[in-house]
Amino acid sequence: MRLGHVIGKVTLSRQDPAYLGGRFLLVQPWSAAKYAKPAAPLASNAGLVVYDSLGAGVGSIVGFTEGSEASKPFAGLTPVDAYCAAIIDEVFHQPPQ
Amino acid sequence: MLLARIDGVIVSTVCHPSMHGCRTVICQPLNERGEADGAPVLAVDSHGAGQHQRVLVSSDGAATRTLVGDPKSPLRNSVIAILDDSS
Repeated sequence: MRLGHVIGKVTLSRQDPAYLGGRFLLVQPWSAAKYAKPAAPLASNAGLVVYDSLGAGVGSIVGFTEGSEASKPFAGLTPVDAYCAAIIDEVFHQPPQ
Repeated sequence: MLLARIDGVIVSTVCHPSMHGCRTVICQPLNERGEADGAPVLAVDSHGAGQHQRVLVSSDGAATRTLVGDPKSPLRNSVIAILDDSS
């Protein structure tokens, strides 16, 4: 699982029927520099679209998983490879000095 | 498996049901000299690894699903060992 900031939402006009009822978030993953300084600006590399069923809003920090594990929470076969597993309340990050 | 160091924890109340009751730790991957190498990953910890302890993180989703006891869990990384020493 990785952390990321939600920077937008994605609305689909035509979609796979397995996506019914799902929301899609545009997420910018946290880079190593962002962990070191949470106040640092977000990285500008490619964000990704994450399937969300928890209701995360723009600006919240989410924990998302990728790969085949992201398609596990669904009943049938679903073409999803990034799934929002948690909305993060607190991040306690203190690397050794 | 990843050689990593526990650098912190996260708190999440709204999450997938399989994550309730699990400790989610921030693991910083280490290189062979023990320095930080790459972006941290989050893993489920069932062994109670302490802060700044070195651990082995597995990215086998099947093992993590068995660990949390939920075949539909989206979790992937789990702490499977706490290192005593490495040379």
